[in-house]
Amino acid sequence: MKWVREKLWRHAVAWLAVAFAMFPLYLVIVTSFSSTGSLQLTSFIPTELSFVNYDKLFNDPTIPFLTWVWNSLLVAGSVALVSVVIGAASAFAFSRLRFKGKKLGLQALLLIQMFPAILAIAAIYLIMEGIGNFAPGFGLGTQAGLILVYLGGAMGVNIWLLKGFVDSIPIEIDEAAKIDGASEMQTYWQIFIPLASPVLAVVTLLSFIGTFNEYILARLFLVDMEIRTVAVGLQQFVAGQYSENWGAFAAGSILASIPIVIIFLSLQRYIVSGLAGGAVKG
Amino acid sequence: MKIFQGNSLAVVAKIIFVSVSLAILGLLAQSAFATGETLIAIFIALAMIAIALIYFSKVSIPLKFFLPGMLFLAAFVVIPILYTLVMSGFQFKTGNYVDKPVAQERISASGFVPDDSGITYDVSLGRTDNGDLALLATEYFSQTFFLSTEDSLTDLSLEQVQIDPDLGIAVATDNFTPLTPEQLADIGASLQGLRFVGKDGYFLSLEGFEVAIPLKPALEYDQASDTFKNLQTGALYADNGRGNYANVEDPEDVLTPGWRSPIWFENYFALFADPQVREPFIGVFIWTVVFSVLTVLTQFALGLLIALALDKPLRGRRFYRIIIILPYAVPSIMSILIWGGMFDTEFGAINALLGTKIAWFLDPMFARVAVIVVNLWLGFPYFYLISNGALQAIPAELSEAATIDGASNRQVFWQITLPLLLKILTPLLIASFAFNFNNFNLIFLLTGGGPRNDLDGEIAGATDILISYTYRIAFGSQTQDLGLASAISVVIFIIVAAISLYGVRRSKVLEEFI
Repeated sequence: MKWVREKLWRHAVAWLAVAFAMFPLYLVIVTSFSSTGSLQLTSFIPTELSFVNYDKLFNDPTIPFLTWVWNSLLVAGSVALVSVVIGAASAFAFSRLRFKGKKLGLQALLLIQMFPAILAIAAIYLIMEGIGNFAPGFGLGTQAGLILVYLGGAMGVNIWLLKGFVDSIPIEIDEAAKIDGASEMQTYWQIFIPLASPVLAVVTLLSFIGTFNEYILARLFLVDMEIRTVAVGLQQFVAGQYSENWGAFAAGSILASIPIVIIFLSLQRYIVSGLAGGAVKG
Repeated sequence: MKIFQGNSLAVVAKIIFVSVSLAILGLLAQSAFATGETLIAIFIALAMIAIALIYFSKVSIPLKFFLPGMLFLAAFVVIPILYTLVMSGFQFKTGNYVDKPVAQERISASGFVPDDSGITYDVSLGRTDNGDLALLATEYFSQTFFLSTEDSLTDLSLEQVQIDPDLGIAVATDNFTPLTPEQLADIGASLQGLRFVGKDGYFLSLEGFEVAIPLKPALEYDQASDTFKNLQTGALYADNGRGNYANVEDPEDVLTPGWRSPIWFENYFALFADPQVREPFIGVFIWTVVFSVLTVLTQFALGLLIALALDKPLRGRRFYRIIIILPYAVPSIMSILIWGGMFDTEFGAINALLGTKIAWFLDPMFARVAVIVVNLWLGFPYFYLISNGALQAIPAELSEAATIDGASNRQVFWQITLPLLLKILTPLLIASFAFNFNNFNLIFLLTGGGPRNDLDGEIAGATDILISYTYRIAFGSQTQDLGLASAISVVIFIIVAAISLYGVRRSKVLEEFI
């Protein structure tokens, strides 16, 4: 009886939560192995195991799925790397240097982050159109242009995140280096960067997930089939009334989600630190 | 003892790196300037000055660390925000999209009137000696002849032209080589838009290959008074200060297109004063708040319940935990679209499960329920994780002491655990509220803001939150009003900034981090 009172309700709640969490995911998995191509719940136990959707993703020339995945990796990867390299320097200065206007700078950074990025889209569009007029490789409709815009957007979040993590690295080591005659630059490159590298790796991965998940700007920029990211490419399958493409969409979503889920689960303790919450789901 | 010494290799590397960056930026600035993107060119030039100054001197050491990040923030975040701020003070929408000179040009080209006398010219087409297209024009009754190109007109006398005896029109003269029929066929289509110089301020427009008629714009622009005059009705159109030329006697009668024109705070006033803007704005605003509050409450309640259930050692706890985190780990674009499919009326899994035939996205109430349910699924794992963390941060002694004092489990929860939890989690609850206030992806991908009555030209849908509503105003299919959309963006910014700053104060996050 004690077990019932103490444990049963806990298992019941947990199982209900598991059912709720798994329901759509289970459906996607079943759909991806079904040949009908519609997102239907005919029975809870799958009746067939067909690889036609996966086959389509890899072998249908009208669906450049692998190219999309590569594009996503390229865009999210370069944004994550470059923004952390640049952001780390700012985070170091905010965390370790003393200068006038530090508080003001941090507040300004926080305020800028609160402007809904989606609403600056019109302005970004007009600016990128202007850039495209003289540097077509970086204008609208190019991945390089999209990367530039992402970098600007990632900067604020990453500086905040990095600063939060970096503050927890003991400052005594830098101070010792300073006494030994290190300049700020030397402290940065020879002391700070090696010490902070695990943190930098975590923020790089978080930034990667955040960029991988972005959809609105990517849709605006990447019109050509060949340069789309996986999110934009897959979304087209189920946009409008073409429900017959659910199978391929489900298969593609699963494949594209697996690496993200793995990164996410391995980083969950950093994500949970609360600070990072807004950075990943955008 | 000095361990750290200047490294000459690093200095050389720095000089090369900075110089190469400057060279690239210099090239970009130059080509930006050459294509007329002056503002961008100025920005790049300023960036170059800043880079050179900061990296080749000792003006400020912190700036050496900040500059690259600052440049990106300035170019792609701060300037777009300022740009949006400026746009919010403009009449900038469908019909008022171009700048004033372009609008004038288009108005001038929008209608033509023929000469009163109904005169027409018989023409032969040819080229002048320097290759320009030319018309050799004949007016038979008055025996007038002239040679006209796109930018000049030469009067000719009867002696200077050679008349075709059958047709009685001029076919040859000096400085004129007629086109052969083959040449005519080649360039035929491109002739239609051409305007040749005519007499008395008219221009000549070709009707086929042999006849030209004199035309004049229906609206005549007067530079001195900045007005257009309608040559048929005599009506006068003056700049109304709001980006249009309006009839002096009837302000409603405006010429199209208009242009972008500063109207200062009118877009903001419209939010409160213009009933056509105000009614949907208030409706959407209320739903945005309700949506955000309900979302945070439901996500927090479910997350906390699970965290409480899994707070004690339990067989399978690790398994539960991983499965429950999954919705938060899967890219949300994918899961939102899947949920969209699951709520489908005919084939959706939800209706199949419930045994109903509900048209979820066609009924305002059901659509709102669906939005909340999907958002609950997306967000409860996050609240489970943070509640779990917070529960562990609460010292066990507190609840143990209360139990010893005779408190029931229920009392311990409501009077000790929950108040402490709320204290810890309030900043995160506020942050979550602010995030959902602008949860564009969810609304845009799940319902598109609908259902809405498209036939009535309704822009605001039942599930539209402010940000998706604004997006439709700016980029919608019918009319696009960037000025109004920018004004609402600024209002959203102020609301979210106020909420977030309150949250930051509560959490003292700034003090903690500085």
